[in-house]
Amino acid sequence: MNRTMKRLLTGKDSRQGRWFFALLIALAIIVWLGLTTERFLTSENLFNLVAQAMPLIITAIGMMLVVLVGGLDLSVGSVISFTTAILALGAPALISIPGVFALAACIGLINGLAVTRLNVHPIIATLSMQFIVLGITRILRPVSGGDVPQIVIDAVAGSFYGIPLPVFWGIVTVLIAWKIIHGSRFGLHLFAIGGGIASGTDEATHNFGVADKQKILLAYVGCSCFAALAGIFLAGRIVSGDPNVGLLFEMDAITAVAIGGTQLSGGVGSLHGTVIGALVMALLANGMNSANISAFVQTAIKGVILLLVVGLQSRKKMGL
Amino acid sequence: MAALFNRTNFNRISRIPPAYFVFAVLLIVLWIARPHMLNINIMGIFIRQVVPLGILVLGQMLVIRVNSIDLSGAGVLLLINFYISSSMFPGASLPFFVAISLATGLAVGLFNGYMVGKRRVSAVIVTLAVNIVLVGIVQFLASGKPPGDVPSIFSDIYNTKLWLIPTPVLFWVALALIMSLFLSRFVYGRYVSSVGANPVAALFSGVPVERTVIVAHTIAGLMTALASLVQTASIAVGSVRVGHELPILAVAATILGGVVFGRGEGGVWGPFFGVLSFALLFVVMTTFGIGESGKLITQGLIILLAAIFYGLRTAKSRT
Amino acid sequence: MQVAATRIGGDVKKRIEMSGISKAFGGSVALKNVSFELLEGSVHALMGENGAGKSTLMKILAGVHQPDSGEIFRDGRAVTFATPKEALDFGISTVFQELSLLANLTIAENMFLGREPTLRFGTVDYTTMNRETTKALAELGLDLDPKTMVSELTIAERQFVEIAHGIKADASIFILDEPTAALNAADVEVLNRHIRRLRDEGKAIVYISHRMDEIFEICDMVTVLKDSELVATKPLAEMTPHSLIAMMVGRELKDLFPERNAEPGEPMLDVENFRISASSEPFSMTVGKGEIVGMAGLEGQGQQRFLRSLVGQFEPFGGKVSVRGKALKFPVSKDGGIRYLQSLGVGLVPEDRKEEGLFLTLSIGHNIAMGLHSRKSEFSLADGYGEKIRETMASMSVQASGPAELVSALSGGNQQKVLLGRYLAAGMSILLVEEPTRGVDIGAKSEIYRLLRDFANKGGAVVVLSRETIELIGLCDRLYVVHDDTIVSEMAAENATEHNILDAALSRQASQVRLETTP
Repeated sequence: MNRTMKRLLTGKDSRQGRWFFALLIALAIIVWLGLTTERFLTSENLFNLVAQAMPLIITAIGMMLVVLVGGLDLSVGSVISFTTAILALGAPALISIPGVFALAACIGLINGLAVTRLNVHPIIATLSMQFIVLGITRILRPVSGGDVPQIVIDAVAGSFYGIPLPVFWGIVTVLIAWKIIHGSRFGLHLFAIGGGIASGTDEATHNFGVADKQKILLAYVGCSCFAALAGIFLAGRIVSGDPNVGLLFEMDAITAVAIGGTQLSGGVGSLHGTVIGALVMALLANGMNSANISAFVQTAIKGVILLLVVGLQSRKKMGL
Repeated sequence: MAALFNRTNFNRISRIPPAYFVFAVLLIVLWIARPHMLNINIMGIFIRQVVPLGILVLGQMLVIRVNSIDLSGAGVLLLINFYISSSMFPGASLPFFVAISLATGLAVGLFNGYMVGKRRVSAVIVTLAVNIVLVGIVQFLASGKPPGDVPSIFSDIYNTKLWLIPTPVLFWVALALIMSLFLSRFVYGRYVSSVGANPVAALFSGVPVERTVIVAHTIAGLMTALASLVQTASIAVGSVRVGHELPILAVAATILGGVVFGRGEGGVWGPFFGVLSFALLFVVMTTFGIGESGKLITQGLIILLAAIFYGLRTAKSRT
Repeated sequence: MQVAATRIGGDVKKRIEMSGISKAFGGSVALKNVSFELLEGSVHALMGENGAGKSTLMKILAGVHQPDSGEIFRDGRAVTFATPKEALDFGISTVFQELSLLANLTIAENMFLGREPTLRFGTVDYTTMNRETTKALAELGLDLDPKTMVSELTIAERQFVEIAHGIKADASIFILDEPTAALNAADVEVLNRHIRRLRDEGKAIVYISHRMDEIFEICDMVTVLKDSELVATKPLAEMTPHSLIAMMVGRELKDLFPERNAEPGEPMLDVENFRISASSEPFSMTVGKGEIVGMAGLEGQGQQRFLRSLVGQFEPFGGKVSVRGKALKFPVSKDGGIRYLQSLGVGLVPEDRKEEGLFLTLSIGHNIAMGLHSRKSEFSLADGYGEKIRETMASMSVQASGPAELVSALSGGNQQKVLLGRYLAAGMSILLVEEPTRGVDIGAKSEIYRLLRDFANKGGAVVVLSRETIELIGLCDRLYVVHDDTIVSEMAAENATEHNILDAALSRQASQVRLETTP
């Protein structure tokens, strides 16, 4: 019991990290908002909040895959905008939805290949990808507009017995992600690879016979695909393609992942932590909105939060 | 012919920063496509445009050599532009603006350095977060609208020439010379090479590793401040959008110039030519009618290709 | 007793044969045309000094490295292993020298990493994994919860898990690369029992160890490597410890080491009531002018932690340290500690010259001069030190085209000399040297011993750590035996033997419980 408590509070000797703090923070914000804001604690408002948070939750889950193996994907924001632009081209959903996943997988594949085979630092690889994808998106759709398939709009806007549909999609996505991260050999291997990288023995899992490069590559592909899914959500919500909708999404996703107790050096983290982290971000946004804080200041506050959360993590490596 | 492609020759050629080749190729393209542009006045104007980038690169090069990165430049630039163009400091003199700009750059650089060097936070995350915070603050202060005009003394100085060469260009060359001398003649340059090559070995040979990284970030902050002053003078108005692409262009030019994380073979002049390559690239792209989006893609491709070039080289030398 | 028949009968099958294996890393040759064969039902000792090529040879067999030339045969047919997994699938299981377990995984996850059993829908079968792990650990006499994170284990426990991982595999060839480095005598006996069992089942075992008595106790055959080359393969029955050492070293031991110093001078380094951690016993030691002092004992008992606490890499629990009569100010800062100690004339030569010591991508000149540069402030003018660098290279006889040559192009011995040269050129008066001759050929070895002795004779003081007990005995004037983060014994190197060092280390431990499993 004592050991379990210690693990929960310090995150030491635990592979799930300090997610418990995120839960406490989330609860604290809920209590604070419940006391200060009228009609905050209604089921309608809470469901909406979760529905609002869906794209971030999904993106953060994808980001977590690469963070677990000590990487980072700065191209997810561009992938999200790109996805909305593709969906808004007006092609039938039967083609465009598989299409965006295929394209996202290609982007992830290039990121992953650059990192694993061509020895490029993940940050540089995904940063340049961010620019390339953003450029293509702006050519496709210089300003917001276009026609998003009706089925996408209905899937995001509708509700079932008063519960918004995104909540259902969210549950499905989280279940799938749980299977990938905590319920498969692949997920376990991601933790193992990240653990090796974080302790400076990059070769460790390879010596155990794990195909580490292939797994890292798949993590990048997965990350892009989750971003594409988030893009589909957003396209349904804004009912158009928008080259700027994904702007700074990568930063929010990294913040959510870090709040949830995932170590950016790799090998430590949890899905529930990430989901809670994303909800904390959504709750904060909700609270700041109801307190009438300017959008610009909100951005600045998010930056400060990122600095605080990541600044509290300790790692051996210096620099990038 | 076969001898040209053997291993040692490849290694020797691959040690020359790609910037020199790219610069030469672009110069030839321009010479063929638009020969009339190759005169000192027109080139002077083109090069003057990239001076802020060039100054920024002097700092970026330093942090990249110690395995770090600085992506906070855009925020600093906006803030300094805001100081000068808003009515925040009414009637302030040029020295005052220079001083407060340098102080800002110094403070941001020190903070970045402290977080990266002492706290060991990922440099990308620190500097991107600092950037977000600064941009948010400036946009809030300006309520999202362009603040106002820049005092005319800035553009007056910006438009002067000395022996046919625009003053900003001379300023940049002078700074590059100082940086080059500083790194080659002072102990600090040795520290930078050591920390870049192997931070652990640097620690065990007595190099103050954390301090070296902090100083690198601080110098980068000061360079950003100088670049911001020149950039503000060049656009002559306040803006809340200017320069967001500058830090990443600086990374691109640095890598192109043969300075990659932990390795400084390109010295100061490799990245210098990296910046000149960008000056020509913008001209070439404009003459061939490539728009903003195309420029974004090109920038991304240049960073990726240069990084792959070095990635493959280090992979080869390791096995 | 059918087992005995196979062993005695002349018709013993070869499990695997490595023929004419060569391998180089960058500029330095690790193996030159080495051949090696393994018989079934035998324990084969692979001997040689650190860096002789043992680990590289075994890593090639385990698929970690690929040979530059040479072939591996099984039943006359050539086989290749491109990855560790291929070797594992082929039936080669390895316990590596470096602890390679993943700290963020449980014992069971480590045991099954890369070959986890799965249930329907690809779910990892933890029930089976935990059950099998408990069984495998119990066979080694360990009562550990398989769900324990490896980060919570002691070094000895980790080594046991690693052994359990290696010998559990359904393999026919087992490579045990220094499995006992962190184990005490009782644990070694448990391991030996299992090795005998595997042997009796007809498996082939390669056993690498520095401890002579273990080799003679358990092994049948021995192959000796020296300076990346094969010396000989012989039945152990034909050998004595003395002749084996002579084969490894290649010359009489006394020729390898310089004369000892007669009389140490005034104390240079004085350590009083030093406690490495809160739970460790305090100890005191002193090193005099002109003296070389060694820290001996089992691996990972706190020798390195002690040296590195002096320069601020670890925070010690308490104690007083004075350098030439001047007390050190504790706590020594992590970033500035080495600088501070260097300003007092104390240099620490780190163990891992590639990771911690040298700037491989920079020139010899830069590597040597850094010790001098770092005694100055960053904003002072940099001296070229051309003369000093040339002088150092000449006095250490570094073989290179010149000071501008990259260090990565040098051989291991020359690299080690460049590293040592950095601290000698910087004018240190006390050297703390970790593993002075790791991965260095015999010629360079004796030169490095001479350089250290010259340094001491000129009024310096040296503390040496080494995994090679023979090296400590031969090089040092005095030895401290370290066990459990404290000094348990002191002896003159002249009278020391491997045996009485091990005795001294372990005598204190006999009364203690073997492996404590409670946190």
